[in-house]
Amino acid sequence: MSALALTRRPNGKATGLLIAGVLIFGVTPARAHRLEKRFKVDTHPVITIHNPDGMVTVKAWTRREVMVVANHGSEKVEVDAEQVGNRVDIMTHQLVDTIAPEDMRADYEVSVPEDAELQIHNDSGAVSVANVLGDMNVETVAAGVELADTAGYLTVKTIGGSFQCVRCAGRIEVSSISGSFRLLDLRSLHVRAQTSTGNILFSGEFLPNGIYKLKNYSGVIEVRFSPADSFDLSATSLKGKVVNEANLTPPAHRRFFSRIGNSLFGSINSGRAKVDLTSFDGTINILKRQ
Amino acid sequence: MDCKEFLNHLDPWLAGDQRREARVHLRGCSHCRGLVEDFGALRAAARELSASDPEPPAHLWNSLRAQLEQEGLIRTGDEAGARSSWLRRLFAPIPRPALAGAYLALLIAAAFAASGPIHRRVNDYRWVQDTSTEALRAQLNTTETATVASFRDPNPVVTASLHTNLAIVDNYIALCEKSVREDPQNEIARDYLYTAYQQKADLLAQMADRGDYGR
Repeated sequence: MSALALTRRPNGKATGLLIAGVLIFGVTPARAHRLEKRFKVDTHPVITIHNPDGMVTVKAWTRREVMVVANHGSEKVEVDAEQVGNRVDIMTHQLVDTIAPEDMRADYEVSVPEDAELQIHNDSGAVSVANVLGDMNVETVAAGVELADTAGYLTVKTIGGSFQCVRCAGRIEVSSISGSFRLLDLRSLHVRAQTSTGNILFSGEFLPNGIYKLKNYSGVIEVRFSPADSFDLSATSLKGKVVNEANLTPPAHRRFFSRIGNSLFGSINSGRAKVDLTSFDGTINILKRQ
Repeated sequence: MDCKEFLNHLDPWLAGDQRREARVHLRGCSHCRGLVEDFGALRAAARELSASDPEPPAHLWNSLRAQLEQEGLIRTGDEAGARSSWLRRLFAPIPRPALAGAYLALLIAAAFAASGPIHRRVNDYRWVQDTSTEALRAQLNTTETATVASFRDPNPVVTASLHTNLAIVDNYIALCEKSVREDPQNEIARDYLYTAYQQKADLLAQMADRGDYGR
C-alpha cells in the first residue's frame, strides 16, 4: 500500500474532530463582538433602537434599569448604547462606506422596565417584544414584528414585514404594503390595521365600545368572533367576496355603501363594538370562533 | 439650538410642538424663519382649497409644482438661470431626494385635503375629466425615476423589498385608477386610490432617505 493510500484512509476520530471544527468555526456565524451594558433609569424611560439587520428582542423585567446585550460578527459595524437623561439610544453604525450584507447584522437582547417607551427601527430580520406596557413605535422594511402582552399606544409600520400581536391592549395602529397581520386575543378598544396585499386575521373578543377597522386591498380579511360578542358590523369588498357565518340583525337604515360591491351590515347582540372591514379585491370571512 | 437641530425638530414644530429653544432659535435665524413661513403658507393654501368651493385641482398642482420648480426639486425648461434661493442654501448639505420626499408627502396630504368636498359632492364630471391625478401621477413618476436611480442600500433584502413593494403599489394605483374611471361615484375606489398614492410617496421618501443611513 502506498503512502498516499495510507493518508487517504478514513480515520473516524479525526473526521469527527474536523466536522466539529467546521461546524464551530466555519458554518456557524462568528459572534466575535459582544457588548453588554446596563443603564439606571427613572420611570417611563425611552429606549430607541436603530438596526439595519438582525434580531431585536425586547423583554420587560422588574428592575429599574435597561440592559443591552448586543452581538455582531463583523468589525465593519459598531454597536453603540448610550444614555441621555432618561433615554437610552442603541444603534448599529456602519464603519466603512461599502459593506457586505452579511457584515451588517447585529442581534440585540434588551431588558427594560415594563413602563418603558420603545422606538424600534429594524430594516430586516425580526423584532420581538414581550410584556412592555409603555407606548411603542416599530418601523421595519422587511422584518417581521411579534408582540405579546403589550399595553401602550402601539404604532407599527412595515413595508413587507409581517405583524403578530397576541394579548395586546392599548390603541393599536398597524400599516404595511405587503405584510400580513395576525391579531390574536387582543384586549384593545381601538384597532386600526391596514395592508395592501397582505392578509389580516383577527381572532378574539370585540370589546364593548371598541372600534375595530381592518382594511386591505387584496388578500383575505378573516374575523373569528364568538356568538357572545356584541358588535355592529360593516363589511365591504368592492370586487371580492364577503363570506358570513354571523346571524346579523339588519340595520334600521340602509347605507350608501350597500350599493357598492359586496357589502354586509348588521348587528350581533346589542352591537356594542363597531367593526369595520373593507377590502378592494379581497375576500372577507366572518367566521365563528371554535 | 442651531439650524441643524431646528431642522431635526421641524416636523414636531409644524405639528405644534413649539418648544422654547426652537422659538429662541427662530427669532434669531431668518433662514429657518423663512422655511417655517413657507411651510405655513403651503398648509394654509391646502386648507383654503379644501374649505372653499372646490377650485380646479390643477390650481393646487400648478402652485405646488411652481414651488417645487422654484426650489429646484424638479426641472423645467427655463431652469438654467434659476436663482439660488434661501431654501437651497439652507438645505445645501441635505440630499435632494430627502427633500423631494418631504414635499411629496405634503403634496399628497394637500391633494387629499382638497379632495374632501369633491369627495362628498360626488362630482362625476370632475372625475371623468379629471387631470389632477394625471399631474400627481406624473409628479410621482418623475420623483420615482430620480429616486430609484440614486437609491443604494447595502442590504439586498431591503433593496428587494422596496422594489417589490413599489411594483405592488404601482399595480395597485393602476387598478384603482381604472376603477375610478369606470365608476366615478365610487368613494371606496377613490379612497383606495389616495391611499395608494400616499403609500407610493412614503415608499419613495423612504428610498430617498436611505442615502446616509447608518453613517
